[in-house]
Amino acid sequence: MPPSDPKPIIIAESVRKTYRSNDGRSHLALGGVSAEIGRGEVLVVFGPSGSGKSTFLRTLNALESIDSGRIVVDGVEISDPGADLNKLRSEVGMVFQLFNLFQHRTALDNVVLPQIVVHRRSKSEAVRRAHDLLGKVGIDDRAGHYPSQLSGGQQQRVAIARALAMDPKVMLFDEPTSALDPETVTGILDLMTELAAEGMTMAVVTHEMGFAREIANRMLFMDSGLIVEEGSPQQIFQMPRQERTKEFLKQIL
Amino acid sequence: MQHYLDVFIAILPFLWTGFVQTFWVSLVAIAAGSVLGFLIGVVRSQRIPFFHRLFGLYIHILRGTPFLVQLYVFYFVLPNTGIEALQWSSEMAAFVSLSVYTSSYVAEIIMAAIDAVPKGQWEAATALGFKRLSILALVVLPQALKLAVPPMSGVYVNIIKNTAILSVIGISELTRQGEISIMRFPRDVLFIYGVIALVYFVYCYPVLRFTRWAERKVGGTRVVNLD
Ligand SMILES: Nc1ncnc2c1ncn2[C@@H]1O[C@H](COP(=O)(O)OP(=O)(O)O)[C@@H](O)[C@H]1O
Ligand SMILES: [Mg+2]
Repeated sequence: MPPSDPKPIIIAESVRKTYRSNDGRSHLALGGVSAEIGRGEVLVVFGPSGSGKSTFLRTLNALESIDSGRIVVDGVEISDPGADLNKLRSEVGMVFQLFNLFQHRTALDNVVLPQIVVHRRSKSEAVRRAHDLLGKVGIDDRAGHYPSQLSGGQQQRVAIARALAMDPKVMLFDEPTSALDPETVTGILDLMTELAAEGMTMAVVTHEMGFAREIANRMLFMDSGLIVEEGSPQQIFQMPRQERTKEFLKQIL
Repeated sequence: MQHYLDVFIAILPFLWTGFVQTFWVSLVAIAAGSVLGFLIGVVRSQRIPFFHRLFGLYIHILRGTPFLVQLYVFYFVLPNTGIEALQWSSEMAAFVSLSVYTSSYVAEIIMAAIDAVPKGQWEAATALGFKRLSILALVVLPQALKLAVPPMSGVYVNIIKNTAILSVIGISELTRQGEISIMRFPRDVLFIYGVIALVYFVYCYPVLRFTRWAERKVGGTRVVNLD
């Protein structure tokens, strides 16, 4: 880890989040979560389905509001009413399980549009940048294709290029390979490993434990809306402290 | 046969006047109603409680009452309120009431189409730093409008057919002109109504064909039913 700036890029303190459905029932998704992501660090979050991993990630760029607690991104407290959430979000890249490419736009336009709308770049600059990034993720030859004409793996590459086009300070990945065919998973994981090697700060929710062992500086194990255990990959895989962690690892390894 | 040809030629000028009137009134209602309905649909899709309920009520009232009753309200009741702006001609009452009626259907279609755009599209754009209005204008509406095309043409056909009701307030549209023709040729009632039905059909058919075509093109999903 190269902590040139020792201050973490993201700090979450005692974050609580309750989902309320229309029929009045409420569900505690995060029961007081505290975590930090250092600059240049790769944090892997894992845990059973429904444990709150996605919710946690989505609170970090204010896609979900929180009930209480504090989230600070690059020195800006996001629950501060004066915080510029759109600016903050443009600095926090997000990659989704189901890619969420703009269906009515080509791969190229998916990468161009946000640059123009959010960063006010000129069309020509945005197009140049988009081709560079599509080349980087290995899919510039598909630039003119619509999402429906691309495979899952190809769509996820475009989605990563789109997020990178905002020049994010940190990237959040929510199960980026869970919806992919097994043979395309490796390609996306390699791409993420490459990004990490270039120094990108990343928080990754994944079940790919081999990949996690390789890429993670630190791992968080979540269960029932809480962080149950936190540690280096060696510690988590070789001597997990919590019974619950051991159990879960036994199930998925 | 010669007789029918004579009748047809004799009523042709009436039919033409009627068709032109029907064409204009439906065109105005479709244009104005679509713009109004579009705005209402977009506002409703944003689920801002007060506006959502207010326009929800507007739609329920318009869809839950017969158009004939609405027409009477616009023609008889509103001009009687003494408000200067509402002292309109029967033609104006026809335009306004049909446009308002159209807007209630269009608003529902637009809202349903916006709701049918996957949530992930909003989320992705939000996560990239788009403002709400940019998301609506650049990401959601372009996709929603595509979904709205097939049900929209269905509404348009309905509006064209509903112009017939305007005859009751003396608008000289197609049906009214037909009735005038029948007064002149009372024994050819059946024939004249047949011709009129044919004219409506010829007007609506291209719109219906367009519906089919658009349905195939967009993938054939009707996002709202029109009862
Ligand atoms: N929009 C929502 N409305 C209501 N409940 C939700 C919503 N999103 C997630 N939940 C609930 O919150 C809990 C945590 O969900 P999530 O963060 O998606 O878990 P994970 O990503 O670990 O599978 C789950 O029990 C889930 O059912
Ligand atoms: Mg999840």
